[in-house]
Amino acid sequence: MAVDKRAARLGALALVAVILLGSIGARLWFLQTVKRETFQQQVSVSKTRTQLLVPERGRIFDALGRVLADNRRVLTVTVDRSIIRRTSNRTELFTRLSGLLGVSVQEMELRFQSGRYSNFLPLPLREDVPEDVVLQIESRSEDFPGVRGDEDWSRVYPYAPLASHVIGYLGLILDTQVAQYKELGYLNNEVVGQFGVEKSMEATLHGTWGKVVYEVDSTNHVVREISRVEPVAGKDIQLTIDLTIQQYAEQALQTELRLQRETTDVTHMARNPTDKLGNKKFTGEAFVLDANGNEYLPYSAPAGSVVVMDHETGQVIAMASYPNFDNRWFNAGISGAKFKQLFPNDKAHPDKSILVNRAIQGQYNLGSTFKPFVAYAAMITGIITPIEIYVDKGSYKLETIDRSICNTGVRCEYFNATNPNTGRPSSYGPVSVESALAISSDAFFYRLGELTFKAGRSLLQDQVRKFGFGTDSGIELPFEFGGRVPDTELKKKLVAQGKLAKGEVPRLLVGDNVQTAIGQGLLAASPLQLANAYATLANGGFLNKPHIVRAVYQGGVPESSPGQVDLAKGVVLAAYDKADLVEQIDLPPAVSDPIVQGLKRVVTGRGVRYPPTFYHATTGETLFRNYPYNKLTIAGKTGTAQGFASKPWNDSSAFAAFSTNPLKPYTVVAYLEKAGYGSKAAAPVVKCMFEALSGAVRLDAVAPSDPLDVTSQVAAEPAVLASTNCLQNPYDPVRD
Amino acid sequence: MAFSVLNRRPDSGLGNVRSSPGDPSRNVDWVLMFVQAALVVIGCLTVYSASRTKVPNAYLFATRQVVFVIISIGAMLFVMSLDYSWLRERAKFFYGLSLVSLALIFLLAKVSNGAQLSFSVGPINIQPAEFAKVFVLLALAGFLSEDSSDSVSYERFVGGLWLGGIPVVLIILQPDLGSASVLVALMMGLLLVAGARAMYIAMITVLAISTVIIAFITRLVNTYQTIRIRGWMNPDSTDVALQRYIFQGRNALRATATGGITGKGWLLGPITNAKSDIPVQWADFPFSAIAEQFGLIGCSVLIALFGIALFRIWRIAHLSRDLLGTYICAGVFSMLLWQIFQNIAMTLGLMPITGLPMPFISYGGSGMLTYFVLFGLVQSVHMRRMR
Repeated sequence: MAVDKRAARLGALALVAVILLGSIGARLWFLQTVKRETFQQQVSVSKTRTQLLVPERGRIFDALGRVLADNRRVLTVTVDRSIIRRTSNRTELFTRLSGLLGVSVQEMELRFQSGRYSNFLPLPLREDVPEDVVLQIESRSEDFPGVRGDEDWSRVYPYAPLASHVIGYLGLILDTQVAQYKELGYLNNEVVGQFGVEKSMEATLHGTWGKVVYEVDSTNHVVREISRVEPVAGKDIQLTIDLTIQQYAEQALQTELRLQRETTDVTHMARNPTDKLGNKKFTGEAFVLDANGNEYLPYSAPAGSVVVMDHETGQVIAMASYPNFDNRWFNAGISGAKFKQLFPNDKAHPDKSILVNRAIQGQYNLGSTFKPFVAYAAMITGIITPIEIYVDKGSYKLETIDRSICNTGVRCEYFNATNPNTGRPSSYGPVSVESALAISSDAFFYRLGELTFKAGRSLLQDQVRKFGFGTDSGIELPFEFGGRVPDTELKKKLVAQGKLAKGEVPRLLVGDNVQTAIGQGLLAASPLQLANAYATLANGGFLNKPHIVRAVYQGGVPESSPGQVDLAKGVVLAAYDKADLVEQIDLPPAVSDPIVQGLKRVVTGRGVRYPPTFYHATTGETLFRNYPYNKLTIAGKTGTAQGFASKPWNDSSAFAAFSTNPLKPYTVVAYLEKAGYGSKAAAPVVKCMFEALSGAVRLDAVAPSDPLDVTSQVAAEPAVLASTNCLQNPYDPVRD
Repeated sequence: MAFSVLNRRPDSGLGNVRSSPGDPSRNVDWVLMFVQAALVVIGCLTVYSASRTKVPNAYLFATRQVVFVIISIGAMLFVMSLDYSWLRERAKFFYGLSLVSLALIFLLAKVSNGAQLSFSVGPINIQPAEFAKVFVLLALAGFLSEDSSDSVSYERFVGGLWLGGIPVVLIILQPDLGSASVLVALMMGLLLVAGARAMYIAMITVLAISTVIIAFITRLVNTYQTIRIRGWMNPDSTDVALQRYIFQGRNALRATATGGITGKGWLLGPITNAKSDIPVQWADFPFSAIAEQFGLIGCSVLIALFGIALFRIWRIAHLSRDLLGTYICAGVFSMLLWQIFQNIAMTLGLMPITGLPMPFISYGGSGMLTYFVLFGLVQSVHMRRMR
């Protein structure tokens, strides 16, 4: 009886089993036969996912194939936008990723909110993510839906900060550039060249995006590849820069500026002039006194630039600008505050600005370095003859203006620079073009200013423009200053803009021309323009377009050793190593010889005696006394551009010189702001450069730099010249 | 006596007169044994298939599974050699041990502030909830069989409720709803067979459900359990928190359905042999691997094998010499049935996802050992069915 009941209950249990297994069986049969097709379609539904393939940016080499700008493969973690559309999902996902990626949730949210990233592409959450983190994320796709690692490139500058103004840097597309780059097919969040060759050659370096279309199943997993267009790497660029010389130029420039800035020797400082009664001209500065009670102020020497050119081909071999910067700061991931501290943008102190390539952006008075072109203008137009003598008595009185007008206060007499020893303007006696250039007679050139003005309102202007003044050179660098040659048109414009002092008239006056003749007044040019003009003088009248890009290679020039490409194995797409003639200038020997001769005398001497008992040395004579002239013969010209209020400590120093040896056709220009007169600051730098170019000094080998120290307080570590011998002048320099 | 299965002497020429037909060693249920062996072999192959593309070492899980099986065979032989009534006498001790370990792990979880399902003893993870199945079965079957009456008295029902209820609550608190549900199935099966009134069974059902609800409301159960249920109820949600389970469940269902009648072939499942489409497939969703690769035919074979096993256990429950044996078999039957059903049903999307493994098939040492011991008990009942 009991057994029967037990059997019945066991039967009930069996019934439960049959029901449960039966329901499973039924469901299984239903799924695997009836619903199979539906599910199969769901799984293999043709969903596609497009992934863009980033092209490798072209590299940048120096003339010898050293890689100055390279790329490193990095992984960027991105998230599918459809996943994070809902706020709760986004917060949850960002919270999960935050620790792994080391990016705060707020920061990711900021990226999501900012319109910087395309709405149609996955949102990048962090760049340069270690590979193991990406693997970890991708292997847990159920915890990180829609998150994946995309391959990307990061720019590296192995020799930074060398040549950073030339190479430039990359940055996000600015608001003002969005339209332009969009048209070129760029993505909103791409980085593009924003300075230097990186900017000017952006189109060449960039390459084209590739695209791969995947078929994905409903779980977003790749089923197969539908189509693939490989990215085309950007083209590689070879610069004309020789990094060894570039390094030396930066060292010489920075060392000289520092010496001028930090000197404690009053002979290296600017003297506060005294008038005839012995009164000091300026007050209110922290002067240093010498034993005789004279007041001195050290130069602030805040900035400067050097350009080294091959004047036969127009290639720029070195181009240094100071203050300089390390171009790795731009992808170092530093905060905005840190960036502001490193790169202060102080409108009140433009001479402290860093992101300016002064060699091409500097808007400078040229001072006496402009005189050779004035001499050319006067001679080629027959206004004076090369042998014409003018007696320099320390000043020049205008002849075209009536005495009566002069008495009303109009300036009719222009003086030579004051000799600090006598307190009076120097006078050089009878001078020709050659000797006027050698000792830098202002009076001689004041006269040429007036004579050319008399002969034609734009005569001087037309002649000097032939050397490239007033037009940008077209070098492959952005933001080039085109220069200013003062003429009626320019004055009209400036008066209309209200940029000139009250009372200035909107037409060219003789006084303007007189100022122009000595490189002052409204005349302005960049050091590169000055260098190119001297190069034209040096090569016999061929105005070439200067180049900083020597060749464009097909991307992927093979490396012979790390950081060094084998240029012979590269495929050259375009070369600019031959002279790129813009215009051949009429430069007969009768005109060029006195000029070149005068410039040679600047360096080697023979000055003039006036009065016959007093020897006026040429402006470079004492400085170059220890220059190895037998190794490389050169000719050059000093220049001093007077600065604000004509205070002596605002004098900027310029020196332009070229080699007269056709085997080493180098032209060098140095321009040092507020650093002293021509032979004091710029000339020593140029001298160093020529000693280097002649092979007289050994240059430091270039070496890849140490990793960027992100805690550094300066935009670039200073460059230091190993030996300052070439900068020293054992004798008293001569003011021009 | 204790190891007579192992010590059985070879038959002499005259026949083995030493052992009577009632000798335990001559009464092994070989059908059940072969079915179990077949299931284990299928299990190891499935673990290999389901894990090989998802871990660096393709054989890692399969190898470990084989080791588990070898250890479990030893344990099973040991249990078979014991008379189950001998075990019943020590059931109180084992039951106490179970409760202590469950309580301990609950406290550990409170301290470490997270779900804790296992003790780590060196390289071995011990899941007390798995072994509780054996000890609660022995304790409950022993307790119910003390009263040889035909029906369950109210006192005995309440006693049984306590015996089973305490470990169930402890396991729910772990929280391991899956294992707790197995114990509830055990209680219901045993009480049904022991002759509890339908009302009692209904009471257990109500109690179990209300315990779960209370646990959820008081947030004694941590969020990941609720997420599983929410994911099951909202399969199209885009909520990131639910994605893992939705993803897991959706893919398991798709794999199963697309297997069709004949399947895609061994190791050729586009989903189950993919890189990471179904997380922890080798433990939670082995059925989807079989379904996708061997189709309806493969699934039918598997379910049939389980069916045969269930039938044999059910038969042994009938044949048992005493109530204790019947109850033990009924308990094993209930647990096995529930676990098979729950695992397959969650693969088919009929039930929410729990971590409940499929006996003999899923990867896992504790689960494997537990079912070998349970089957050992059943065999022990069969071997000693003749007085």
